[in-house]
Amino acid sequence: MFFRKMLTFIKRDFLIAISYRLTFILNWGGMVTTTLTFYFISKMFGKVMNPYMAKYGTDYFPFAIIGIAFSTYLFTAINSLSNNLRTEQMTGTLEMLLLTPTRVSELIIGMSLWDFVFSSTRVFGYILIGVLFLGLDINNISIIASLVVLVFTIISFSGLGIIAASIIMLFKKGAPFSWFVSTFASLFGGTYFPIEVLPEPLRYISYLLPITYSLRSLRYTILKGYSIGDIKGDLFILIIYSLILVPISILIFKMALRRAKVKGSLAHY
Amino acid sequence: MNNSAAIRIINLSKEFSRRNMVIDNINLSVERGELFCLVGTNGAGKTTLLKLLCNLILPTSGEIFINGYNVIKDSERTRSSIGLVTGDERSFYWRLTGKQNMKFFATFYNLSSYESRIKIDELFKLLHIEEPDKRFQEYSSGIKQRLSIARALLNDSPVLFLDELTKGLDPASAKELRIFIKETLVKEKKKTVFFSTHNLHEAEELADRIAFMRKGKITADGTIDELRKTMGRQDASIEDIYDYFMNKKD
Repeated sequence: MFFRKMLTFIKRDFLIAISYRLTFILNWGGMVTTTLTFYFISKMFGKVMNPYMAKYGTDYFPFAIIGIAFSTYLFTAINSLSNNLRTEQMTGTLEMLLLTPTRVSELIIGMSLWDFVFSSTRVFGYILIGVLFLGLDINNISIIASLVVLVFTIISFSGLGIIAASIIMLFKKGAPFSWFVSTFASLFGGTYFPIEVLPEPLRYISYLLPITYSLRSLRYTILKGYSIGDIKGDLFILIIYSLILVPISILIFKMALRRAKVKGSLAHY
Repeated sequence: MNNSAAIRIINLSKEFSRRNMVIDNINLSVERGELFCLVGTNGAGKTTLLKLLCNLILPTSGEIFINGYNVIKDSERTRSSIGLVTGDERSFYWRLTGKQNMKFFATFYNLSSYESRIKIDELFKLLHIEEPDKRFQEYSSGIKQRLSIARALLNDSPVLFLDELTKGLDPASAKELRIFIKETLVKEKKKTVFFSTHNLHEAEELADRIAFMRKGKITADGTIDELRKTMGRQDASIEDIYDYFMNKKD
């Protein structure tokens, strides 16, 4: 029944997404322009940036496109559950879902699933555009290692997303938390530039963010074909983040849900 | 207090903040198969009480049992045995069709694909919902309310909570729904119905038993005849009964 419920969530959100056809199409259009923007930046400044790219064995465009593509998961994890929860509050469907004999954890997972599926198609799209038209070389890719990193990337990022959703549940607005995490991740996580560019004291902030380990190991596994053994240090940190963040965030969410029930504010927005 | 009652409320109170007692020490029992009407002005606490009964709001003190299950301690089993219908047109996915909405909720009531197909067809027939493939946003208010009832009947729950169901409906649609509730849901399907309204004539037409609610308190409950007897006026109209019990000093 768990998988049926999850598929039902995906089907519902897919049907709603394609009912807004223009938004659906524009989402894809945005992806093409972002890819092209970083391609031309790379053409212009490529040589200047090359010393920083040496450890990845590539130039700037592949570095940036992997960062942009996979940080999509972070932004999805941070924003998806809280946005969808807020929508369910506004449409009055949250109370109806909570009335069904469904576990809170099933609702948490199900509400964001479509966004992760859609993000995956975007990641695939970024890579595909890069490979087909802009000379992105992923011939060395280690598929298994990349998938393992991806799984723990999504799990660890989701913990942050569940905390953001708990804030929405309690305060009805969660933008500052999402903004804070997203901005920090973009600035310090190595999405657009390697963290080695940052002054050393600031680099310590990077080391606290799971995205730093996630993007670094994905670049290694996709561009240089590193195996799980080669990235075991980063992978271990992502696993630790997952093991800590997910149970804590679910606990926080349950507490927020209970608090909303005490305040009678489940359907308030 | 009857242990076999469908709904049993014991010393229930709810305050959202200090000096804001929304539900004030309510004790109430609704028998299985009974159509119970809760009448009160806007802001009396009717919706809060219904949400407490559905475990969507947690009480400050007191206990609630639905079909013998404690709604807080035995939340999952309680949820399997209740259905909630509100007069609010929200609570559905407006971009999906009526049928897609129903299929979605059927899955969350643990119905298999086959069961949900059979059940949804049966409910659409029963409630005369003729265009299942129209988007929810395109339905009339009457059909939206019927879909709301259909959803509450998906898991064949024995206890139904109906919150101001006919609010905003035209007189003909409201009457049709009242007949459906009384004849089909209660007499034929033997459901226990807890109905909240501020429409006195609706309460008189429907209810086996009525309770009046004012400022979070139940001021009286009983059959119309019992309430007339308490007043000492056998010819009292529903308006007279309402005025008497709603204005009675504590």
